[in-house]
Formats: sequence, structure tokens, C-alpha cells
Amino acid sequence: MTWHEAVDNGRATPGATERAGPRTILHVDLDAFFASVEQRDHPELRGKPVAVGLGGSNDRGVVSAASYEARKFGVHSAMPIRTARRLCPDCIFVPVDGARYQRVSREVIAILRRFTPLVEPVSIDEAFLDVTASRALFGDGETIARRIKAAVREEVQLTISVGVAATKLVAKIGSDLRKPDGLVVVEPGTEAGFLAPLPISRLWGVGPSTAAALRDFKVVTIGDLAALDRSALVRRFGKHGASLVDRAHGVDPDPVDDPDGAKSVGHEHTFDEDTADPEVLERTLLAMAEGVSGRLRHAGLKAGTVTVKIRDTAFNTITRQRGLPEPSDLTEPIWRTALELARPEMKGKKIRLLGVTASGFGVKKQLGLFEVEDDRQRRVVRAADEVRERFGTRAITRARLLRTGLPAPFERDLGTAVERRGEHAEDLDSGVARRRKRRDTQPDTAPSEDAFDE
Amino acid sequence: MKLSVMQENLARGLGVVSRAVSNRSTLPVLANVLLKTEDGGLRLTTTNLEIGLVYWVPGKVETDGSTTVPARLLADLVGSLPGGQRIDLETGANETLHVSAGPFQSHVKGIDADEFPSIQPTGERPTTRIAQNVLKRALEETAFAAATDEARPILTGVLCRFEGETVTLAAADNYRIAVKTIPILDPVGDTSVVVPARALNELMRVLGDTDDPVDVVLAQSRNQILFHLEGIDLVSRLIDGQFPNYQSVLPKAHTTRAVLDREELLRAVRPAALIAHESANIVKLQISANGESGITVSANAEIGDHVGQVQATVEGDGTSIAFNAKYLADVLEKVAADQFALELQGPLAPGVFKPIGDDSYVHVVMPVRTTS
Repeated sequence: MTWHEAVDNGRATPGATERAGPRTILHVDLDAFFASVEQRDHPELRGKPVAVGLGGSNDRGVVSAASYEARKFGVHSAMPIRTARRLCPDCIFVPVDGARYQRVSREVIAILRRFTPLVEPVSIDEAFLDVTASRALFGDGETIARRIKAAVREEVQLTISVGVAATKLVAKIGSDLRKPDGLVVVEPGTEAGFLAPLPISRLWGVGPSTAAALRDFKVVTIGDLAALDRSALVRRFGKHGASLVDRAHGVDPDPVDDPDGAKSVGHEHTFDEDTADPEVLERTLLAMAEGVSGRLRHAGLKAGTVTVKIRDTAFNTITRQRGLPEPSDLTEPIWRTALELARPEMKGKKIRLLGVTASGFGVKKQLGLFEVEDDRQRRVVRAADEVRERFGTRAITRARLLRTGLPAPFERDLGTAVERRGEHAEDLDSGVARRRKRRDTQPDTAPSEDAFDE
Repeated sequence: MKLSVMQENLARGLGVVSRAVSNRSTLPVLANVLLKTEDGGLRLTTTNLEIGLVYWVPGKVETDGSTTVPARLLADLVGSLPGGQRIDLETGANETLHVSAGPFQSHVKGIDADEFPSIQPTGERPTTRIAQNVLKRALEETAFAAATDEARPILTGVLCRFEGETVTLAAADNYRIAVKTIPILDPVGDTSVVVPARALNELMRVLGDTDDPVDVVLAQSRNQILFHLEGIDLVSRLIDGQFPNYQSVLPKAHTTRAVLDREELLRAVRPAALIAHESANIVKLQISANGESGITVSANAEIGDHVGQVQATVEGDGTSIAFNAKYLADVLEKVAADQFALELQGPLAPGVFKPIGDDSYVHVVMPVRTTS
């Protein structure tokens, strides 16, 4: 059951055609992933309402995933199990088996990699593929999508929904549109028409607060947003406004990133008010180093180089870079290096923006004679990571970072599958943030499935 | 204080002692050299509180006395004067030193000698003595392996382990270790001290290529070690702490042994190191299995690559291993042996360099894990 969207309203969308011609990007989404795996492996569950998320060591008291049969009763992920029981008394509740889902996820990713090396896993159950260069081998985007669907059905016995488009944004919205087992192809140039009737909540970067603000502009659908005067939105939302309009037109220059090819992990922070206060600046660097190191650990990477970016009140931007004596994924060496690099550059200046980036993952590993790293420190870090993994990034932090009011980038849950892109667009180097989601290092806590699953 | 010395003697002495001058200290007097008449000559003393250097310059003393003046300035000043020139030194009012050399007259303002920290190197019975050339060679082959960063202070030192009629010197920086055992002239009961490599590097400069002995005084109660040569004393503080158990990391077995010419390998490593320098500084050695075959030395970087061949006699399995180019070049440059045995146990185990026909030395380098 596929659906082919080919509305052509003749409206050329900027960005859909780039110099090298439009890209072909697939968004692949496993249907009701955890529940489908349970139904696949337990035939007695097939055709029955199943909710995954009971018991087990990672019981969060909420539904992690619901089968399509259960969804008919209104059961959805992130719903308290008590509520789910009330809505669907016949539901079969099964415990989360994160390790098994990981394994299946890897099998699916392996299939995807047969079609292109440019696979960017977004979470345990979805991935982007850039098949632009694979078209010569396997046929157009739609053909590749069908072949992938067939291969996953045959080899893993699961169904997937695929969106095919020239941008990640539209491909993702496409895959979401006709679940389960869907295939939506949006031809280049038709993005705006395809998006127009959809509610704005479908767009990346439109959270509840943006949606509420857009209501002032009487915006309900993406088409409403696309029709708005760009400058009005820029006045209201700043840079974010401009990118909102772009996205409403289906424009999303974001490339598909193979996480193995990740070059750097970084954070930037723009101060609400420019500051020269060394305590604030140092604490901000610490918070960013903490965030960067956490993401390095999450991705199983060690960085050999630290770069700081400093923008002063006059918008002069400098970057300073230095190698670490040893590749590291710990806060202290990254912070210390960032501090040494930034201190002389910040002296006596009012600072507008600070950034810390770790790179140089390819650094080859010099083996040591005597184990230098303090094993106790490593254990402390690991314990803290586990606490954050289970209870959120704010659950445990450094005393120095308490009550500092540092916003967004440091609050994100590393284990959360869904990247809420755009919400912190101005604070975040989102291109970098995306790359951290390597699922092969995912701990055994099972993330929820995409809550927007249909 | 009033005396005369010869320019070349004073210049040499100032050259030696200025190595222990501390220009960045919060104590201004540490940037100075202490001048004190003694035994009918001039004693020059400098210290940076880790190392103290004393050099005795022969001269003709008219009036005893002492003062301190900026060491660098005096050394440069004396160095600029013509050789063979007699220099007259005389202290004047307000700690001013008058330097007079023929037609040249200088005045240098100094600091009272009483402010100079006391260094008490002489007059103690030596614990043992070591032939200067033997110690010099041993230091050349070991001290370079000590750590230069202060992450682990103990590794910035060289372990000196006295045992009966030998002393074993061991230096390590966590990626490599150099161990050398040499004879001492007077037996010493088992004693281990860790001496800063910086001090031993200075000692290396003043040791001669002679088998005349250098006196060694272990003054552990003062946390010091003293070296005494004719006219020169070097005092160093010792580094507190436990040196890592290096013996436990010395490999006891190997699966590949390649005997090779040191200079030939060095000639192959040098160009590879130039390429390696452009990237992660990694040089790869590929050793073919049993027989009269070769070692392939290669490096890869974005800028280019390099491959070279070296003759070697190989026993055991073929293998490959990657090293930091600097560590490889260091051991090949610093160790005076015609031939080396390179003993390996696969790509991730330490590589052991042993000079052929010399059991007193061993050098271990940790490999680099390459992704390929």
C-alpha cells in the first residue's frame, strides 16, 4: 500500500535544486518498532494490542511503544501504563528488551548500508540515507525505497515506512505520513505543495511555544506559514524565523551525516547579555566542556583536539585550537585546555558567544606503559553518566554549574532518540549535535520510540 | 672583593652555571650568579632551587668577598670580551660590580650575597664514584626517555637504583622506557633515588669523555644528590614518590625477533618521519617472517606517503607495528650500538630494542594502535 504524492503547483522551491542537482534522501522509519519486534518473536502476540514498557530493570512506568492494534485504543508511547490499562484493558504488556531491539536495529542498518554508505541513524528505529550517488546502481529513489522495504521485510520480518525527497526534512515528514508500511515520494520542486496542507507541528523546530506564537499570525498549516511575509517572521523570531519560512518551503540544506565520519562535537552558547565576568565565562566553558565530553562518551569517541570560539560584543570572532596531550572524553582536560585557550583572548572584553568543540577523533591511539588514567575518576564519570541516562541530564551535575541558569544545550537528554532540532537553533551547532546519536554505543536503557509515530 | 681571572676561564664557568639560573622566579636573586672568592679563585654559584651548580674559576685574589649579579648579563658581557684578556672584578658601593678588561670598563648592579640561598655541596665523603665516560654514555641513552610534562612528576626523573657494584638507571614517560645498568667504583647497599632528568641533562654536559671518576654523594636526609668533579659541583633535589614498577612492564617473551643495523633503520625512519610529521606522526614497521628479509618502513599522511626497505635477519612470525616516529628516531639516534635486536609480540604489545652484544641496555617503546 503505497502512496505517491506528485502535486505540482509549479512553485519552484529554493534549495530543492542545488548546483549538483537535487539530492535523493530517504527517511526510513521502523513501524511501531519495539512492539513489532515483540510480535515477530512471539507469534501469540500477533494481531493483538501490545504495549511494550512493563517491568524490567528500566521500568519507567510508561509505555515505550504500542502496537498498531493498541494504538486504536488510544495507547501511545510515553503514556503512563496505568492510563494505558484503563484505555485498553485487553492490552498485553510486555517488558522492554533493549538489547534485542538494539540487535535488530543493527541488522536493519546493515541492510541500509548495502544501498549507500551515507547512512545516518537518528535513533534506534529511524535513519536517513543519501542515495543520490546510488541511483546509478539501484534506480531512482522510489525504486531504492521499494527494494529496501522488501529486503527488511524478507530478512528481518519487519515493516518500515519510507519517505523519499530531496531534503531530510521532507523525507522525514513523508515517512511519517502513511504508516505503517508506507512509501511517500515527494518529487523535487513539489515540496511546498506537499507540505502546505499539513499542520505546522509537523515541521522540525516548531514546538508548542513556537506553535502558540505562530497562532498570532493565524498560522495553522505549513502552507499558512509559507505564505507569511519573511521579514515579519524575522522580526518576531529572529534568525529562527527565516529558517522557519525556509522549512515551510521544504528547504533544508542539512546533509546526511554518516556518524562514523563525524569530525567534531561542539557546543556554542550565546549569552543573553554580553558579559566580561570571568566567573560566568569560565563556568560557561565548564558547562560546555561537560556537554561535549558527555557526548563524546556517549558516542564512544575520544577527541585529540580542542577548539574554542570567542565572539566579543563587537562581533569579532576568534577561534583557538590546541591538541590534547592524550585523546580524551573527560570534562577536565577539555575544560582546562579550553580555558587556557580562551582566557588570554577574553581578557578585558565583553563576550557575546563562546563555543567549545572537540575534534580529531581519528587520532591514533598511543598505548601507554603504565595506566595513567585514574580508574576511580573513570568510575565516577561512568556512574554520573548512568544517573543522567536514567533520570535526565539535570539529575546530577557539578556544584559549580548549579543555579547558573545556563540554558538549552546542556539540558538535552543524551539517550533521547528524537532530536528536537531547531528549538535551540541559535544555541546549538545542530550539525554536530546530530552526529552523536550512534546507537552502537547505546546503553541498555531503551529509548522511547518516536512519539510522533502514527 | 677584588680579584683577577682570565676571560676564557670566567666565560666557561659562567656558561656552565648559567644553566641553573632561574629568570622567572619570584626570588630576584635566583636570576643572579653568586660570586665568592675561595681557595685563591672565584666560586660561581647558581640555583633554581631544583638544581644548584658550582664552578670554581682559578684566579688571583687580592681581597676576599662576595656579591651576586645578574647571571645572563655577566655571562654575555664576559663572552663579548676578547679572549686571552685579564678581567679584574671589584665590588664597590651599593653592591656594584666593577668589571674591568683592558680598555673596557663596566659596572653591574647586584644584590647582597646574603640573600642567595645556601648551597652546601662540598666536604662530604662520596657515597660512590662512577667513571665519567661510563655515566655520561648511560645518561645519554636513558635520560631522554623521561617525561617532560609534569602530569606525573615522578616520571620527569630518572630512577637510580644502586645495588652493590652497579647502578641501574631507568627513565620512562609512559610510552617508552630506557634502562641501563653500569658499574660503580665503590659498592653501595641497595638504595633507590629519583633524580630530575633536568639535573642529569646538566650533569651530562659537564661530564668528560674520560674514565676519571665523578664523586656521587647521596644525601637522602637532605633529599639531595651531589655530583662532584674537578672544579664543578652539581646539587640536585630528589623527586619524592614511588617510581612505577618498570620491571613488570618489560616484556619477558617475544614472537618476532629482527636483527638490524641501527643506522640503516634510522636512515629509513627519517624520511618516513617527515611524512608522518604531517599527520599523527606514526611510522609503521612491517616485518616479514623468518629469514634474511626486510623490514618495510612506511608512513602515510594526507600530504603524501613514504615506503622504505631495511635489511634484517628475522626469527619468528611476521608482524607489523606502528610507533610514534619521534620515539623510534630517539632510540635509534641516542643509543650507540651498531646493531639492534627488535623483539615484538604482535602489533599491540611493546616493542623491545636491545643492542646486540650489550646486555646492559634495554629500551621499550609502546606501539600506536592504528585503525586500519
